[in-house]
Amino acid sequence: MLIGITLENNKPDVRKPKDCAAEMAAHLDTVAKERCKASFAKVFGYFAPRLRSYALKQMGNEAIAMELVQDTMSNVWQKAHLFNAEKGSPSTWIFTIARNIRFDMLRKLKNRKEDVCSDDMWPILCEQTADPKEKSLEEKVTLQQVGELFNQLPEKQKAVIEAIYIEGKSQQEVADELEIPLGTVKSRTRLALQRLKDMLETHD
Amino acid sequence: MIKFHPTSQQLNKFSDGLLTPAEALMISAHCDMCPQCSSKVMLYTEAHSETLFEDNSQTFDADLFGSMMADITSGEVDRGIASDPQNRVIELDGRKFTLPRSLNRLSESMGNWSHMVGKLWQAPVNIGGDTVANFIFMEKGGGVPEHTHRGSEMTLVVNGEFSDGLANYSSGDFTVMDDQKIHTPSTTSDEGCLVFSVIDAPLHFTSGWARLINPFSHLFFK
Repeated sequence: MLIGITLENNKPDVRKPKDCAAEMAAHLDTVAKERCKASFAKVFGYFAPRLRSYALKQMGNEAIAMELVQDTMSNVWQKAHLFNAEKGSPSTWIFTIARNIRFDMLRKLKNRKEDVCSDDMWPILCEQTADPKEKSLEEKVTLQQVGELFNQLPEKQKAVIEAIYIEGKSQQEVADELEIPLGTVKSRTRLALQRLKDMLETHD
Repeated sequence: MIKFHPTSQQLNKFSDGLLTPAEALMISAHCDMCPQCSSKVMLYTEAHSETLFEDNSQTFDADLFGSMMADITSGEVDRGIASDPQNRVIELDGRKFTLPRSLNRLSESMGNWSHMVGKLWQAPVNIGGDTVANFIFMEKGGGVPEHTHRGSEMTLVVNGEFSDGLANYSSGDFTVMDDQKIHTPSTTSDEGCLVFSVIDAPLHFTSGWARLINPFSHLFFK
């Protein structure tokens, strides 16, 4: 077991993605199950510098390139549980995350008005909180209650929750639409859900 | 049996995320219906990822990346389960059509069906930008008057069969038409034919009475 996070400076990992696929897949699994920072550091150490070269070439701008790296690796940390080794290698999965983010970034940078986003075509990071097929009557009653409580949320939180949970949009889409950073959408979602939870508890 | 596919170059660029949004959407919808192109896209995607990550010219720079990593791992994690989006179904006159998954979200805001000339129905889908997207349904014996294109016209057959004087198309077929091609789409199948069409400039009608509408075709375009 590694203590802390070791950053292996000046020692580039020259292995090809294929040659460390099994190892990276195991690390992702540990990140998913235990939120293990040491395992994430291994994945990060291998992929982040490579993503940076790619992003610099593609975007031609240091700040935007680093944003692409950060958004990609942040998704790897947050969504490691969605990685499925049976469907492909870690490098392919991480590439598709980066490609999707780049696609949406370029669309915004070029000021294109198209309402087509990466989730429409490549819904690799789409997830749901529960299986919609298993909606019981009880749950519907709860949904109705939640609906009432929902109306008591501050407008900004309400807008985000509505877009994500009712219209089924991704957090990225909501960020694009409201022209606010993805991080803000995430924090508003978290705050709103926390508030709903608190209200439900006092409601009982 | 799908006979008309995007080119390998289109599939390759699609997997690298380099097509325009409208073109990418069409290719993606085709891949939803075409296992053959879908597996090609998977191969291209793998190849792109190999190329990308083979580049090891950058070393791990702790100044550059250390705080980023700390920042990322300090965030909270909300866990859901992977979702498997169900294909949406749209309706026209009691007929039901299952859409390719890529059109799910956009079709939620599609406009109403309007009945055009020639046993033709049209419902707009707002995909923004400079392109115009429509679902077009041709009833049996119905069709679009002979026309060519001022720009390009991408068509995906969602359900049914049609001919245009150049070839016969059926579900899943994908075609791109430009100003070099004149065609007259129509269908003789009992079930009619539903296509999803994206154009970036008005059509140019080339024969008979339909030529009369050319000066006004921009009205049909937006």
